Amino acid sequence: MLFDSDEVSAIVVDLGSHTCKAGYAGEDAPKAVFPSVVGSIDGMEIDDADNANMNSGSTPDSKSKGKSKFYVGSQDLGYRRDHMEVLSPMKDGVVVDWDMVENIWDHALRKCLLIDPKEHPMLFAESCSNSQQQREKTAEIMFEKYQVPALFLAKNAVLTSFASGRATSLVVDCGGGSTTVAPVQDGYVLQKAVSTSPIGGDFLSDCLLKSLESKGLPIKPRYAFKRKEVRPGEFQIVDLDLPNTTESYKLYSQRVIVSDIKECVCRAPDTPYDDTSYSNIPMTPYELPDGQTIEIGADRFKIPDILFNPSLALTIPGMENSIETTSSAHGLPQMVIESISKCDVDIRRELYSSILLSGGTASMQQLKERLEKDLLEESPQAARVKVLASGNATERRFSVWIGGSILASLGSFQQMWFSKSEFEEHGASYIQRKCP
Amino acid sequence: MDAVVVDVGTKLLKSGFAVPDQPPSMVIPTQMKRLPVDESLTDSSSLENVIVNPVVRGFIRDWDAMEDLLSHVLYTGLGWEIGNEGQILFAEPLATPKAVREQLVQLMFEKFNISGFFASEQAVLSLYAVGRISGCTVDIGHAKMDIASVIEGAVQHISSRRFEIGGLDLTNLFAQELGVFNPHVNLSISDVEKLKEQYACCSEDAAAYRRFQQGCPEEQHTLPDGQVIKIGGERYTVGEALFQPSILGLEAHGIVEQLVRCISTVSTENHRQLLENTVLCGGTASMAGFEDRFQKEAAVSSSAIRPCLVKAPEYMPDNLTSNSAWVGGAILAKVVFPQNQHLTKADYDENGPSIIHRKCF
Repeated sequence: MLFDSDEVSAIVVDLGSHTCKAGYAGEDAPKAVFPSVVGSIDGMEIDDADNANMNSGSTPDSKSKGKSKFYVGSQDLGYRRDHMEVLSPMKDGVVVDWDMVENIWDHALRKCLLIDPKEHPMLFAESCSNSQQQREKTAEIMFEKYQVPALFLAKNAVLTSFASGRATSLVVDCGGGSTTVAPVQDGYVLQKAVSTSPIGGDFLSDCLLKSLESKGLPIKPRYAFKRKEVRPGEFQIVDLDLPNTTESYKLYSQRVIVSDIKECVCRAPDTPYDDTSYSNIPMTPYELPDGQTIEIGADRFKIPDILFNPSLALTIPGMENSIETTSSAHGLPQMVIESISKCDVDIRRELYSSILLSGGTASMQQLKERLEKDLLEESPQAARVKVLASGNATERRFSVWIGGSILASLGSFQQMWFSKSEFEEHGASYIQRKCP
Repeated sequence: MDAVVVDVGTKLLKSGFAVPDQPPSMVIPTQMKRLPVDESLTDSSSLENVIVNPVVRGFIRDWDAMEDLLSHVLYTGLGWEIGNEGQILFAEPLATPKAVREQLVQLMFEKFNISGFFASEQAVLSLYAVGRISGCTVDIGHAKMDIASVIEGAVQHISSRRFEIGGLDLTNLFAQELGVFNPHVNLSISDVEKLKEQYACCSEDAAAYRRFQQGCPEEQHTLPDGQVIKIGGERYTVGEALFQPSILGLEAHGIVEQLVRCISTVSTENHRQLLENTVLCGGTASMAGFEDRFQKEAAVSSSAIRPCLVKAPEYMPDNLTSNSAWVGGAILAKVVFPQNQHLTKADYDENGPSIIHRKCF
């Protein structure tokens, strides 16, 4: 089915584990960017009593299926409500709770972009490890509930590759929830060579939070204090005690502040981090929302180095319980080399010379230089290592979305859409053939 | 001939020739009445006038009504002649869907046959009116509220937000409150609207508001039809609702807190530039005491950098707050049209309505 790209604008949606990006194809940045977590308040009054009377073998899921009210978007999440839990619909980059995801899509399409899904073809970015079942479910929901005219599912790595104008490259996607290294050849992901690590931006934020807390610098979430004018010109911070705030909400609010600290202050160190050489680093000040100024010294370099050396996280007091995460994870350079060595010998050279960085965590300062340096040391002699990343931090953060925007606005792409009539004729499993 | 600048709001349509430092020459209500033309109808009940609102929550929804309204404004009001139409600049609200923009361009070129077109967002125009290209705007209109951050003339959509509350909801609140204390008086919405514009104000701070709720000097007002009503603490409730939306039944933070949170999503190096150049615009923002209360709340907001309001230049007309988008449009029109950066008829004929997304953003 051909869609005239001039008249009907496609919508590109990239639902990541940290933020959801949505916008029109053809534009250079998404219009709707908001956290991909939802606040949920369980309406548990009647269900609870019923469950207690039923047999004890009832699964815990039946309780929450009752009446949960979802709050999506940074404005709704920013307002503190009693008993509101912050939940993520994704686990390891794939969707597990479709109800929540539908709410997120609703918010993006109807409230942020103000469009009617019936009139726009949709391009979705999906993670490389998405299963056939997940894709069929996405197609089902989109065609049956939202009645979109056409759909396409593209892999994140392929879209990043297109965004930089290359058909073959190695994509290092450092996102919020995880880091994925995937080689792309001629527009197709080489599945057997994809490697993932659970160390992502969120993990780094948690490490920073624990590290600051252990140093006696607690981070006060925005809702927990109020500023009062004691005398004209003089202000005092008053702590608010809100007992019904859930732990997950407190953690979410603290994470928002800590990720801002991380983005402003952290830099990837030029050499692997060790306590002795970085102990005399001058401290950088940062002003928290409540007016308190904190000084951050060695943590500036320690936290980003966790990407290169995951076991460093265990040295932070409070992160000892993350041993399962860090023991299985490898540092970035190791992941890159592992991934390339699983590919055919012929393309290895090309992959080494076009390594693309994408994702929010990849916009950390000096990350590109450090990765290049480490790879030069560890890669085979004949390889010419080149790490490419667009200079603009916004472009790096949204490179998957931008790739989708480029793809959906190409004239030659218009015949590749999976249309509604094809869905009705062949069923959801046809998506495997149409969107490789 | 000067270009025409049009700012279509939900309540008022502001239009006029682009003469800088002057308020719009034509400010008329957007609300229209549909009169039945068919004389063969004998049933008198179907001769009722139907109220039509072509603009709903900031966006144009009823295109036929809009066409009629614009032809009245352009041909009758501003004196355009058919066959000799000029150039026009529109002010659009934040996050206008692409389809609405394309339809507007189509309407202007095909029905009105204009020679040049340009559209810009109200947030950017309001900043131009006070002489800035970067800053943030808090635009409180009749049916919607926009908080937008603009850096060097480009709206940062990621940190801008639109709320579906405005003067209309405040009027309903006022009507509700007055009804409680004056149960015998029959008030129509347009009466309440006028009362709101005359009496509503903001208290100095939250503590002052609580004092007014307990006891406040009452004023007596005589309506045009002779009824007398008493207005007491309700006038402060209307202003307070913007700072404590729980009064309207919404679970949201006050307006200053929303502004600060929106701006916090932008990268830190721009925070100072944005917050220190905050502009208030929109009809509802010209409420008595609103600016002072805004500054007071800004001082106690949960942000390291306090929002500071920008003072309008002296040569600007007095009621700049209500008309800043139009005035900014007049300034922009003087730049865009002579430099041929606008959309011409030839462009439209060659490329179709979607050219607007490429030329005007």
